[in-house]
Order: sequence, then C-alpha cells, then structure tokens
Amino acid sequence: MTFFVDANVILYSAFEGPGRRGCLRTLEAVASGEAQGRTSPAVLEEVWHVALRHDPEALGGLARAALEIFSPLLPVTEAAFVHALSIDRDGLGANDRLHVGTCASHDIDVVLTADRAFDGIDGIERVDPLDGEAVEGLLARS
Amino acid sequence: MYSERLQILISKEQRRRLEAEAQRRNASVASVIRDAVDAELGEVAREQRLQAVSAIAAMKAGPHLEPDELRRLIDEAHSAEIDRGLGEPGRP
Repeated sequence: MTFFVDANVILYSAFEGPGRRGCLRTLEAVASGEAQGRTSPAVLEEVWHVALRHDPEALGGLARAALEIFSPLLPVTEAAFVHALSIDRDGLGANDRLHVGTCASHDIDVVLTADRAFDGIDGIERVDPLDGEAVEGLLARS
Repeated sequence: MYSERLQILISKEQRRRLEAEAQRRNASVASVIRDAVDAELGEVAREQRLQAVSAIAAMKAGPHLEPDELRRLIDEAHSAEIDRGLGEPGRP
C-alpha cells in the first residue's frame, strides 16, 4: 500500500520535539524500501520554502536530502490540477488541494500529515505522524 | 558498471516501441530500458537514501511547532515569495 507524505513529516524529522521520532522512522522505512511512501515536487517546494525562511542554517540541505529519499517524485500532472480545482473545501489551501489531486491521479488514498485540514476529504484517509502507534500501523500496512 | 543480466519477455508492440524510441534517441534498446528503470524506480541507491536520513537526523532545528503553527509558517514562506515576485509596495 502506497501512502503520500506531506511536508510537515519531513520538517518534523528535522525539528527537535515530540514528533521527530515517528517522522524519522517513516523516512528510514521509505529509504530502506520497507515502506512505500511517496511525495511530490509541490511538497518538497514547501519544505524548501520553510528551510530558506525559518532556519536556513539548521535546515540547509533538508530539501535535497528529502529528494534523495523520495526519488523518483510523483509528477504533478494536469489531471492532478484538474482534480484539485474540483475540490470545494474551506480551510484546505491550493497546494493541499494539489496534494489531494496528486494522490487521486496516482490511486493513493492515505496521506501521512499532521494537518487536520485533510480530515474528512472524500477518498482520503489521514494518518497523523505525531501518533506513534498510527505511524507503526501505517508502516505495517505499507 | 553493468554486471547483472536480466532476460524478460515483452510483447511485439512493446519491442516495436522500444526500437522506435532507441532509433529516435540514436541509442541502444538496452539504454532506453535502463533509463526507463531509473525513471520509474529512481536513480538513488539505498545507501545514499539512508545517508540522507542520517543527515536529516543530525539537523537541530527547533523548537517544536504545533501543526497549525507549522502550516502558518509554510503559508507565510509561500506568501513572502509571491509578494517578492509581484513586487512589494515601495520596492522597484
């Protein structure tokens, strides 16, 4: 089972705090081939934005490292964009809609994200990366 | 560099398309297949991927941000870039 990895998972992997362990565990599982986690250039763009703006010294190289872990990235296609435009939901930003569209165009129905805006979207199951048991359950299913 | 031999069966149509693509690129059928494998599965070796995880694990950004704060940070970073692209008020 393939799941989509959102930007906050990659960012929490680099931030000291309670979410770090589960997020790093996920990246390691993807890197080793144990889990089928995928992401897109739109997600890595968000990671890059934050790295450049928030803490370029500590987060230098984060986007490139994430690219190496997740290569090849899922393409963000015209079909993904068309799907994103069809989503009418308050609180879900344009980029998040594009992530949902990318999932739909690649038959992915699980998103690993701490962002509750993904809750209740048709065809999408959100798994919280800050919930250690949920992460282990996802990795066991993948 | 290439040490592994792989023998597979493909359809006539797949062979025709492979040969046409190889001719278009002025390359061998084998190189078209190798490129397709890299495009589908990625070119990064497992060890390099695991090293990338170690590099992230060594980063010390912080402090922890709640998901809403992190969302706001991503949105602000995006907006700042867009503002720069549009030209902030007072800037040429």
